[in-house]
Amino acid sequence: MGALSDKYCIVGVGETPHMRPSNRTTLSMACEAITNAMADAGLQASDIDGMTSYQAADSTTSAHVATALGMRLNYCLDIFGGGSSTEALVAHAIGLIEAGYAKTIVIFRSMNGRSGRRMGGQIPGGPIPVATASDDNQFNMGWGWTTPAQRFGMSAMRYLHDTGCTTKAFAEIAVAHRYHASLNPKARFRQSITIEDHQRSRWVVKPFRLLDCCQETDVSAAIIVTSRERAYDLKHPPVFIMGGYARTMTPNPQWNYSRPVIHYVAGNYGWKRAFGMAGITHDDVDFVSCYDAFTFTTLIQLEANGFCGQGEAGEFVKGGRLQIDHELPSNLSGGHLSEGYTHGVQMVIENVRQLRHRADDACPGWREGKHTYDRSKGCRQLRKARFCCGMAWGWEAQASCLILRGMAA
Amino acid sequence: MAVTIDYSKLRILPDSDTHEWWAATRRHKYLVRKCNRCGHKWFPPNLPACSNCTSMDIDWFETAGKGVIHSYVVVTQPIVGAFIGAVPYVVAVIELDDCKEEDGTVTRVAGVMMEDESEVAIGLPASVVFEETGDPKIVMPRWRISGTAPNTWKFSE
Repeated sequence: MGALSDKYCIVGVGETPHMRPSNRTTLSMACEAITNAMADAGLQASDIDGMTSYQAADSTTSAHVATALGMRLNYCLDIFGGGSSTEALVAHAIGLIEAGYAKTIVIFRSMNGRSGRRMGGQIPGGPIPVATASDDNQFNMGWGWTTPAQRFGMSAMRYLHDTGCTTKAFAEIAVAHRYHASLNPKARFRQSITIEDHQRSRWVVKPFRLLDCCQETDVSAAIIVTSRERAYDLKHPPVFIMGGYARTMTPNPQWNYSRPVIHYVAGNYGWKRAFGMAGITHDDVDFVSCYDAFTFTTLIQLEANGFCGQGEAGEFVKGGRLQIDHELPSNLSGGHLSEGYTHGVQMVIENVRQLRHRADDACPGWREGKHTYDRSKGCRQLRKARFCCGMAWGWEAQASCLILRGMAA
Repeated sequence: MAVTIDYSKLRILPDSDTHEWWAATRRHKYLVRKCNRCGHKWFPPNLPACSNCTSMDIDWFETAGKGVIHSYVVVTQPIVGAFIGAVPYVVAVIELDDCKEEDGTVTRVAGVMMEDESEVAIGLPASVVFEETGDPKIVMPRWRISGTAPNTWKFSE
């Protein structure tokens, strides 16, 4: 058993439907996601004494949500953050519980990611507005290089150059995650796609096509972390937090794109710590989640976290390896690419459901953990789901990870 | 084919750390930051401390504005209004020739290529050009291919 010794657990998960648009406030959506997570855990508002969230000046706050739900918190905090924040806030929650600042902590993200502030900005409708560039934007907006697709595309292009990988590897990821979405009634995009569909989709920014890019949605999602002692009293078999790393960074000679290898991303600096804490190896991992803002971010994180060698991810994902019933299923809910975009929370949520053996699929008995494993009938529960490695991307230079263990199968 | 940017839709706001850099572009000089203590150079210039030795005793280094294309993207879907008429345009990361340090550290910069994607490749040499924007305070550096190279690589999909 690793350093964390199974002392902390994820006991509740919940979300709102992925909408475009939601026609709701982020406060309203957050309240619903959190009450869903509490109901999932079998907890009351009075059981929650800590709440944290992350946002980009586009969301309600923990204090507002707690007030609305009648919670008296011993701890609340809202951080500025994007991808890789969920797992970091889990690490943060562990510290708070260990030190006695709070006992049971909700972590949420609520965003109108489509109808409100869009991550990549958007093409203006009507008269073209004048964009102002200050701070960092002085040195990217002037060259029309602002969106995550445009930024990560630079590293992806160099990766293709350095490794001989082609975008067919990107397609493997789009196809796998869409297949999983086809088994997820909550997913926005459920129609299966092929490698050829990916290759035929329109360019957004070369080397990325439309089907390399995630879905923007309006959604809130929440998870609840508490100690093992409390977890045993709750509704579901606990999901144990075995290890991780939290917003780990690369060394930077001042600028991400001046690093010796721009696609040698932050996970490389974290995974030994995470697996060391967990006391397991890659071979023990039954499935993964991989922050899929873009197909490429999944690809590069598998490599960065030691699932394959440097430059080998393109070969590694070939032949449907990341699909359910294959060697290393990835993003079983469909992920950002096909389920919708939660800024990372949904990967943890799906991993928890899989580890409980209670994926909310088309099987009538899923609530009792009864699954058919018949994909043609819409079952997406893994037969064996004991260990999971969740890898989260902030950007090339920042990443998180969460290794979880379930008690079921 | 020329790539034309509508600078009337873009307003750059220099700050106390960057106004000298933008002033230099008006004189057609391409600067990077330089540490007075250890000599490390870097870009972008809004970073006010040396990542090598933490010194804030920093100065400017005037580069020749020449380098090699390290990577690039081809933007086909514009986001910033100034670039709506410019698509498809190429943004390149360029490794500067005269900022290589003894320990292997390099300084790379980014900008929009003058050429379209059919001419751009990783490994090609590029040099800076300075483009008037209509705003007398802002002259925008762009990059153009300045020669050939034996080993170049092009995204051909």
